[in-house]
Amino acid sequence: MLCQNCHQKEATVHLTQVVDGKTEKFHLCEECAAQKGIDIHAEPMDLGGMMEKLKDQLAHLKEEWVEPKAPAAGASVCPACGMTRTEILKKGRLGCDRCYEVFASEMLPVVVSLQHSDQHLGKVPKRSSDRMRNSVELARLRRELEKAVAGENYELAAKLRDQIRALPAEGGGS
Amino acid sequence: MSVRPAAARTPEEEAYREAYGIILSSRVRLARNLRGVPFPDKASPEVRADVRRRVMEAAREELPVQETLSGSSMLHRQELFEDHLISRHLLEGRPEAAICMDAARTRAVMINEEDHLRIQTLRPGLSLREAWSDANALDDALEKKLDYAFSSSLGYLTSCPTNVGTGMRASTMMHLPGLVLMGEMEPIANGLAKIGLTVRGRWGEGTAALGHMFQVSNQLTLGMPEDRIVADLEEIAKEIAGHERNARERLKRERRLFVEDLAARALGILASAKLMTAQEALERLSELRLGIALDLAKGIEMQKVDHLLLEVQPAHLQAAIGKPLAGEERDLERASRLRGELGRRPVKRLGKRTE
Ligand SMILES: [Zn+2]
Ligand SMILES: [Zn+2]
Repeated sequence: MLCQNCHQKEATVHLTQVVDGKTEKFHLCEECAAQKGIDIHAEPMDLGGMMEKLKDQLAHLKEEWVEPKAPAAGASVCPACGMTRTEILKKGRLGCDRCYEVFASEMLPVVVSLQHSDQHLGKVPKRSSDRMRNSVELARLRRELEKAVAGENYELAAKLRDQIRALPAEGGGS
Repeated sequence: MSVRPAAARTPEEEAYREAYGIILSSRVRLARNLRGVPFPDKASPEVRADVRRRVMEAAREELPVQETLSGSSMLHRQELFEDHLISRHLLEGRPEAAICMDAARTRAVMINEEDHLRIQTLRPGLSLREAWSDANALDDALEKKLDYAFSSSLGYLTSCPTNVGTGMRASTMMHLPGLVLMGEMEPIANGLAKIGLTVRGRWGEGTAALGHMFQVSNQLTLGMPEDRIVADLEEIAKEIAGHERNARERLKRERRLFVEDLAARALGILASAKLMTAQEALERLSELRLGIALDLAKGIEMQKVDHLLLEVQPAHLQAAIGKPLAGEERDLERASRLRGELGRRPVKRLGKRTE
């Protein structure tokens, strides 16, 4: 089979990409593949950018734990329950609440792919801190604001903006 | 006992069919774990025992009927399982597990299932909002005494990431023989999967639905508030029920002889068989139930069939007799009970009646 790009060399790189739910196949020669920035030696599933974005989300998660923060990235054992990375990936189960933080770089992409979301918008335990409650409330209002703007419901959008402003600033601790 | 013409439907029967004819019940389950304590699978026996003690203590007031399951017989566990009060995991036996229930058995907490707590509530018919409100209130009461594992981004933290967030699984139990017989169940199940709902058979493994009984539930637990999940599912359940009603009407109009024959055979077998497996009983009762809904099986109340759907199951049957039975003895006993309930008794009695 010839390369789809240059139509000259033999295609040795065969890729399947999923774009907007549609599967596309590419057959390229090594050179053309390199030109297109495809690293043929990379892992078949590269979550690169997504992982970076998800790590930002971690900032939220981290502040909720009282215990001193161990450097999360690269950890292979949960210090709280002894669960290993390998065990989690094999069973698809976590060992304790701390595991969600310790193995966040593995688990968040899994959660997102299962749930199509990375933000809880439901019930918050009554005994949790105001800051935690506000953080979920803020996420909920922002989501509604997005929808209001998309639906060109500007009156509602203005109301939601006021509500967001009325929430105590993050980390402000009033 | 008053004798009324067999064909007449009482207002009670009418109301029962209207309320429970398609959607039998609504359920809500919430997964919760204790902060800083390893999930049951990872915890030591001592830690699990401590979790059990703490949760039973916290639930005592709301759910006074409490049982540790390690000491109970397989038959008793099977009965709880048939009543949907414990999961297959707990039926098969998990260490340091327990169940706490209210007297009516409509609100319960499983302890040391996959998560420390599985709060469950049950309501008859389509009443997901009420079931959620029950579960929410029970959760509030427990939370006063227990500190839950929770994060502001991922919500309630659970052993399996498929439950994280609300930890909520809302479901409705639906009798859908019309859709199955018209060959329309498959596309509906596929369509539901696309919008994040799961359809499973109530009995039997996987999607093989014994007795046309299905459980429809939400698949996603994160990214939506509980009341939205419940309201969406309630809308979908109503829509499915509409399709089922429509399929039943078409069955009666276009394939009347077939469905009439189906219900008559079902009743014939139930009323005269000498041996009856649980599977066959569920299948024939389902067909009879359809016949009743279409006014093709006169004189039998739907409520009676619904009662039998539970009573023919192995543990309920043995509990009613008060002793364990082996396979064929069980089938013999089941058949005899069904004959007693659905046999020609009333007609004979009517003929002999003298006053
Ligand atoms: Zn090329
Ligand atoms: Zn852990």
